[in-house]
Amino acid sequence: MNINLLILRNLKKNMKNYYLYVFALIFSVALYFAFVTLQYDPSMDEVKGSIKGAAGVRTASVLLIAIVSIFLLYANKLFVKRRSKEIGLYQLIGMTKARIFRLLSVENFILYFGSMLFGIFIGFASSKLILMILLKVMGIETSTTLQFSEEALIQTILVFFAIYLLILLTNFVFIKRQTILSLFRVLSSTEEKVKKISLFEILLGAMGIGLILLGYYISSKLFDGDFSTINELFMAMIVILGSVIIGTYLFYKGSVTFIANIIRKQKGGYLSINEVLSLSSIMFRMRSNALLLTVITTVSALAIGLLALSYISYYSAEKAAEDNVPTHFSLTNTEAAEKFKAALARQHIDYQEKRIEVIQVNTDVTDIMETNLAELNFDPSQMSLPVVSEESVNGDIKKDEVLFSGYNDAMALMMSLKDHGEIELFGKNKSFKQHYIGLQDEYVIPFNFSNGGLPTVIVDDEIYQALKNDLNQDIQHDSSLYIGIDINEEEKLEAANTIFQSLSFRENTINYSRIEMSNSQKQVMGLTMFIVGFLGLTFLITSGCILYFKQMDEGEEEKSSYTILRKLGFTRKDLMRGIQAKQFFNFGIPLVVGLSHSYFAVQSGWFLFGTEMWTPMIIVMIIYTAMYSVFGILSVLYYKKIIKEAL
Amino acid sequence: MMKILEAAKIHKNYGNKWNKQEVLKGIDVSVDEGEFVSIMGASGSGKTTLLNVLSSIDNVSSGTILINGKEMTAMKEKELATFRKTNLGFIFQEYNLLDTLTVKENILLPLSVSKVSKKEANQKFKEVATELGIYDLKDKYPNEISGGQKQRTSAARSFIHQPSIIFADEPTGALDSKSASDLLKKMSDLNEKHKATILMVTHDPVAASYCGRVIFIKDGQIYTQLNKGEQSRQAFFNDIMKTQAVLGGVQHEY
Repeated sequence: MNINLLILRNLKKNMKNYYLYVFALIFSVALYFAFVTLQYDPSMDEVKGSIKGAAGVRTASVLLIAIVSIFLLYANKLFVKRRSKEIGLYQLIGMTKARIFRLLSVENFILYFGSMLFGIFIGFASSKLILMILLKVMGIETSTTLQFSEEALIQTILVFFAIYLLILLTNFVFIKRQTILSLFRVLSSTEEKVKKISLFEILLGAMGIGLILLGYYISSKLFDGDFSTINELFMAMIVILGSVIIGTYLFYKGSVTFIANIIRKQKGGYLSINEVLSLSSIMFRMRSNALLLTVITTVSALAIGLLALSYISYYSAEKAAEDNVPTHFSLTNTEAAEKFKAALARQHIDYQEKRIEVIQVNTDVTDIMETNLAELNFDPSQMSLPVVSEESVNGDIKKDEVLFSGYNDAMALMMSLKDHGEIELFGKNKSFKQHYIGLQDEYVIPFNFSNGGLPTVIVDDEIYQALKNDLNQDIQHDSSLYIGIDINEEEKLEAANTIFQSLSFRENTINYSRIEMSNSQKQVMGLTMFIVGFLGLTFLITSGCILYFKQMDEGEEEKSSYTILRKLGFTRKDLMRGIQAKQFFNFGIPLVVGLSHSYFAVQSGWFLFGTEMWTPMIIVMIIYTAMYSVFGILSVLYYKKIIKEAL
Repeated sequence: MMKILEAAKIHKNYGNKWNKQEVLKGIDVSVDEGEFVSIMGASGSGKTTLLNVLSSIDNVSSGTILINGKEMTAMKEKELATFRKTNLGFIFQEYNLLDTLTVKENILLPLSVSKVSKKEANQKFKEVATELGIYDLKDKYPNEISGGQKQRTSAARSFIHQPSIIFADEPTGALDSKSASDLLKKMSDLNEKHKATILMVTHDPVAASYCGRVIFIKDGQIYTQLNKGEQSRQAFFNDIMKTQAVLGGVQHEY
């Protein structure tokens, strides 16, 4: 048998064993190629032009390279290790290390570049679909054509060739370092020996859970006003990150073992087959994979969190626009409004108009403040709030009372208000002590009047007139008039918006179209979501593959145990039940920990991104879980094969 | 005396119909309740195949095997598994303990399938483990104890659910002579005190001399049988040596 035949035979064998590696490789190349193709596609110009998409796409492609190369290097390391016996054997029969290295390199080359070509083909085929998805989530309508980009091809080949060189280098170092003896031993030395649980480990385990809970606790308090300066807030975030990440590591290192051990102790040595296969194996395995699992968990949590947050803002775009602009269109000067109305009339679009006068009044809200704002460099006794008359909003307010209306969620959480209390409104000369009776949800004026989300004060008309006659000019806006226009028929809204956009208003007038605002937010968040989703998907698949490879290894190593158990008279079904339980924990624990991390990350700051948390977050989590489970199921199927062969 | 194992005309072939290799060529074996029998033979004589076939791990090509009066060759995989669980015990050369379980957990494994109460299980464990001298090791992991201790753990596991018959495949193969004789003494104690039926495969004449009967096989057929009877172990050992010399006598022909 000459060396070429050997290579061919190995390839045939490896293809069967490592089909998932080949799949992952093809997938990575396809994803990368599709992504780079997007970058060079002419229809992306619009995306790039409208918002700084190019930078986003480029950053994402760099991250994509990082994820893919780490994954490929790791997978390669696992495979070389699995083949160490074979390498040792070649050495034993007198092959030089250089020759073995050449053998491996050629094998790798064929496998690698074969998959790469295939991946490029798939990437090309799917790039149009991906582009269509992107344009759809961004709400841009252009026709797409399938274009083969040479730049993308060259870039992909260069990147993956570089990764191939890296793989060669690690293989070279691996072979160089090994002696025949150590090659034979390599598998057994990597896995930690089974040993007793020490008190120290119990402490570590308890500390892990403690640190994670501490991180969660601080994160839930993050925007409650306990951390009021930027520095404190920043410190708190660092502490959360640190304690959660270290906690996660210790959790895998100690807590899982610790909990499993408690359950086991209670059984008093009398274990059922399910417990034998799941508990005892997880107890020892998880500990030796602690670092890997921590990285996987943290990055999954990050991916889920970011994806959920961007989906939250995407999802809330319409609601947010509604809060910011209470009517379909908002204008601030009569001239522009007349121009717009005339244009609408020409197109026979019916509308309703409302005009609200808004004045800015300094207010003392110290008495109704829940939080202490002194540290925020914010003086609650001189807060500039928009004030409108009860008549403009068809309300009825008593003379000595005020009602607040429309308070931004993010602001409301940082500066929470009491249910009632006393406030004082300051005119230029006079001041009015009023009784504050509460806060209503409705937004009555657009956000350019509300100084970044502060509530609107609704007062009795008499008080309003008095304040208006006694204005503090320093804090007034250019315009004190809000002209809101609502289109009667929903279906004509698009047409009205086109007119609104085509009109040239005088500069420095503030005009908003609600639909335009919602669309542009959808575009920004759509692109973010797309990029994060893309990266998240790559990460999910690569980490799923790594866990699966680990399980493949574990399965091979435990094969002898299955032989024993089957000889003792346990059926394949008994063993499969145990394996299912084991895989449920093996894949479930990192998933649950990751989901829980991302839940706490999202809930601590979601209100800064949108108005609805649960629906978008749960959708993201369900999709992630479903895709992740695929790998768990694949690994169970692999075990099924091993158990079948075990006897 | 009641027959525990009765096997008749056992044939076992490997390979396909063009390239057939006959390993067992019509063997008849029977073992009575409470007997300690060993099977000896040179390597390649088919002794391990015979044990695998008798213990239902491998299936026969033709022939019948009855254990406790139950026909085993006709059983489906699932029935066989249940049968193994309740009626058979195993000791192997490679210890075959699960590394991730403690000594006690390993021993109690066969009980977890038959719904034995925890209290009763503990009771049985204490009894067997004390007898085999491994009670103090109960919370240790297999890699913390010696080969002899591992093999005694394995013996305890094969015995704890009181099977009809225990199959032992070269149980002393990986042990030094001191541990080996310890184990064999314990096994013959179990055999005498608890009427445990044991069928053991070995190539070690010393090990075989602890048995009551030795079956020699050669080229897939029974060559001869020796009964210990009332003679001493030493005398029996000498008999075995002589027979083995005749069995392997081919070498002296040239």
